[in-house]
Amino acid sequence: MSTRRDFLKRGAAVGALAVTAGAPPRLRAAGDERILVVFELSGGNDGLNTIVPFGDDAYYRLRPTIGLARDDLLVLDEHFGMNPGLAGMHRLWDDGRLAIVHGCGYDNPSYSHFTSMAYWHTAAPNSGDTYGWVGRLADALAPEPSTNFLINIDGAQSLAVTSRVHTPVVFDDPERFQRLALPRERALLEHVAGAPTGNAARDYLNMVAASANEASTQVREACRDYATPVDYGLLPAQLDKVAACIHAGLPTRLYYLAFRNNAFDTHVQQRDLHQRLLTYASDAVAGFLADLERIGAADRVAVLMFSEFGRRAGENTNRGTDHGTANVMFVAGKGVRGGHYGMPPDLTDLDDTDNLRHTVDFRRVYASAIDGWMQPGASETVLKGRFETFPLFA
Amino acid sequence: MRYLVLWGMALLLAVVAPGGYAGVDERLAPLAESDWTRAHAAHLLERAGFGGTPREVDRLAALGPRAAVRYLVNFDGAPPVTLPPFEHSGIFDEGLDPFPPSRPATTKLATETGAALGIAVRSGGNRPLQPIVNKFFYWLRASRLETDRVAQWWADRMLRSPRPLQEKMALFWHGHFATSEDKVRDYRKMLQQLELFQRAGLGNFRTLLIAVAQDPAMLAYLDAGVNVKGSPNENFAREIMELFTMGVGNYSEHDIREAARAFTGWNFVGTEFHVDPAKHDDEPKTFLGETGDFDGVDVIDRILAHPATPAFVAAKLYRFFVREELDPALEAALAQRLVELDYELTPFLEMLFLSRDFHAGAARGTRIKSPVEFVVSTYRKLGLDDLPGAPDFNLVTGALGQRLMHPPTVAGWSYGRSWITPSLLIERGNFALDLVFPDIEFIPEDRYPVYPTGDEIRAVHRRLRAGADITTATRPVEADMATDGETMMTAMSNQVDHEEAFNTRYGSYRGWQMAIERVKPIERDLPRIDLAQMVLSAELATPRAVVDYFVARFFSVPLDEPTCQMLADAFARELGSDDVLANASSLEEPLRVLLHLVLSRPEYQLG
Repeated sequence: MSTRRDFLKRGAAVGALAVTAGAPPRLRAAGDERILVVFELSGGNDGLNTIVPFGDDAYYRLRPTIGLARDDLLVLDEHFGMNPGLAGMHRLWDDGRLAIVHGCGYDNPSYSHFTSMAYWHTAAPNSGDTYGWVGRLADALAPEPSTNFLINIDGAQSLAVTSRVHTPVVFDDPERFQRLALPRERALLEHVAGAPTGNAARDYLNMVAASANEASTQVREACRDYATPVDYGLLPAQLDKVAACIHAGLPTRLYYLAFRNNAFDTHVQQRDLHQRLLTYASDAVAGFLADLERIGAADRVAVLMFSEFGRRAGENTNRGTDHGTANVMFVAGKGVRGGHYGMPPDLTDLDDTDNLRHTVDFRRVYASAIDGWMQPGASETVLKGRFETFPLFA
Repeated sequence: MRYLVLWGMALLLAVVAPGGYAGVDERLAPLAESDWTRAHAAHLLERAGFGGTPREVDRLAALGPRAAVRYLVNFDGAPPVTLPPFEHSGIFDEGLDPFPPSRPATTKLATETGAALGIAVRSGGNRPLQPIVNKFFYWLRASRLETDRVAQWWADRMLRSPRPLQEKMALFWHGHFATSEDKVRDYRKMLQQLELFQRAGLGNFRTLLIAVAQDPAMLAYLDAGVNVKGSPNENFAREIMELFTMGVGNYSEHDIREAARAFTGWNFVGTEFHVDPAKHDDEPKTFLGETGDFDGVDVIDRILAHPATPAFVAAKLYRFFVREELDPALEAALAQRLVELDYELTPFLEMLFLSRDFHAGAARGTRIKSPVEFVVSTYRKLGLDDLPGAPDFNLVTGALGQRLMHPPTVAGWSYGRSWITPSLLIERGNFALDLVFPDIEFIPEDRYPVYPTGDEIRAVHRRLRAGADITTATRPVEADMATDGETMMTAMSNQVDHEEAFNTRYGSYRGWQMAIERVKPIERDLPRIDLAQMVLSAELATPRAVVDYFVARFFSVPLDEPTCQMLADAFARELGSDDVLANASSLEEPLRVLLHLVLSRPEYQLG
């Protein structure tokens, strides 16, 4: 049977632990620009039961009832298998389109959903920032405000997309991304004074009002007109709307969406539930990438998946798991160089709260996506510090 | 003091102030009495308060600039605040203190000691820890709901207080010393911190800073409990310098570590500040270049003596009350004033609100109102005499990005343009609609569990009442999937009730029930608006006169001519006539349509 040490050796052999960035992306023509989709799994996904280290006996000692047996897994190699719910992502792995980054976390971890998520959103652990990292990335990519540069599909705006320059377009149901009004009021409500006033804040408000009309119309029409034969599974998690916006030619380069409502907070009887949640998320991502292939956009789009923390290494008395620390992150797409990255935490060397010790600062994965996919060299500004990157992209 | 002296000299050399005011910047000189107009009074009331009715603006305008500023800032001539204190629901009992950091910590404590949260572990039967787990969730929910009542009480004071700057300043400090109930999990500490801001927010910054550093909500929020000798936690030490006083780049990581050591042992017991000498590191520390046996107050004094601090604090006040743009010369002049005033905030604000810079065209009507300011000032300008319970204040301001007692991070809210996105602008208009045409589908979330675990709690409730055992009833609900009766019955027949120490999901459900039994409901009275009376008493005869009146009453900037005409035409169509007075008995509904249109304008966001 294989050991963690074997994994590390093999990892080194295939370059999984290398830290140099891949070749910089070539410059893109307008309309052919690269897109990053950030997909949040809220609630704290159980990484150990997502990418299962079946080759490590310690895993089964920590999880005597909820541990997944090798026979149940979608085996990746001699050490790891995927949760059986991840059939869609397993196909991506086989196609070399899925990067798994192990051991992601940060020092002095918070076990609060809210606090830890804020750290991930701002990329400022044990601190804070008024702007989110995706918002700051938008500011770095496009220093002038532009309509629909940044879309957040959710009921409320995520801290992650808060931007100094851009006004993120936030909607949940595109049909409801419009003013509530009596029919005869509608045209009046959409009226915006166009002439510059010399008052910068006023001009800004008029611009946003005009772009609100424009953005809501664009998004509504994009989603209404979109039909696809591709199966996104039971809960498309709004990724079908992202495909619709890309297909409609929106200038959006950053999308942010979440598997909502703390769904991954699996404290109780988690096994079946967790597998179903992973099925939904994985089918949606795999469907999305297949749909992008169909509409000819697959080589422009990468998806980054994260959760605010992993879960406790050992199971609890309710056949679930409590809030934890280090976790796996995923980056998927046609331009991704599939494989294992980072270093899986040692299951026999837990910290004094029985948690995994992280091996990779999660901001290294953000930096890899920023520098390797969106704009070489931008990560230092966006993340306010220099982080070693992984060569995640081909 | 060494820093201050050197720095003050540098300032005097650097700042050129021809014919200057107190040797600093002419822009801070007081506005001339002869330049004072009603528009200046309206601007002052908007910024030093939350705006007001035409009559309130008139009264202030008649005072002249000095007396108006002294009325609003020093409260000279202002009536005392006679509003009632917060009315507690009575949700706390001694067993809840100290409240363990998590559910696992609670059940671990119960298992190890035989009791937790004032409840002993049952000696037999299934789920012997269940009452303890129920109580854990009870407090989480009850504290959250009670905190919503605190926020509602505070918003009502913003609306009704004859000294609105007290509440506005508390709002400033709440964003500056941002502390969230999500982590503090104790409405008593949140209320106590708010009362500190209301009481001391216009006093001396040093006094306030020390009080905040010793405030239980802040201590809980920034992990004071784990900052102990030998194992310092740098959270508070970092934030006090980075976010509260100096700003990044003025101190080293070493300074943070040393400051953290000086704050070791500072914690709270119940709702009182408490220093544990055994946990305090009294070895020498080297902080900002000086060495000594510093404690927290010594560190604060060294921070206050550093030149970055007055500049940082003055700039933040300026950006909150005046405008975003601040050039280095003016920043230096403001910082110098703050130092000369020994960090006394009232005279600093008096100087600021009287200054030519505050009253300059570039400052007026150029600030985007925060969601709380937007809602409160709308109510003030309408002349409401108490805060409506529907639309729900916390839900509205939360949806717009500023939920009181729940700032997004320790960095507080980012003011200015970040308040406005396309959908948030639309959402502000939707609030105006709810104001004039109430939403009859509104469901108060302090009774009915909604987000984020509401589906789950309601499912448990329904299943238990349909006869399910606890294991079956607490089966996970899948996100976004409705549970119909048939699948539920199938599932029920497949389960048996587990033997277990406790059931978390059942605890969450019982906690909710127990919380709504104790926490007083928020009254759901709607705003009582009488626009017809407003228009008739102002003797407005034409649609255009009505539009001009609304713009003057609600807006900080004039509207352009075509827009005013468009609104007047729309109002005339609603009215079916150009004659307002002839239709006096059926004015209300057309006026409400007009008010919705007016308050939905992008220009209305400016204050």
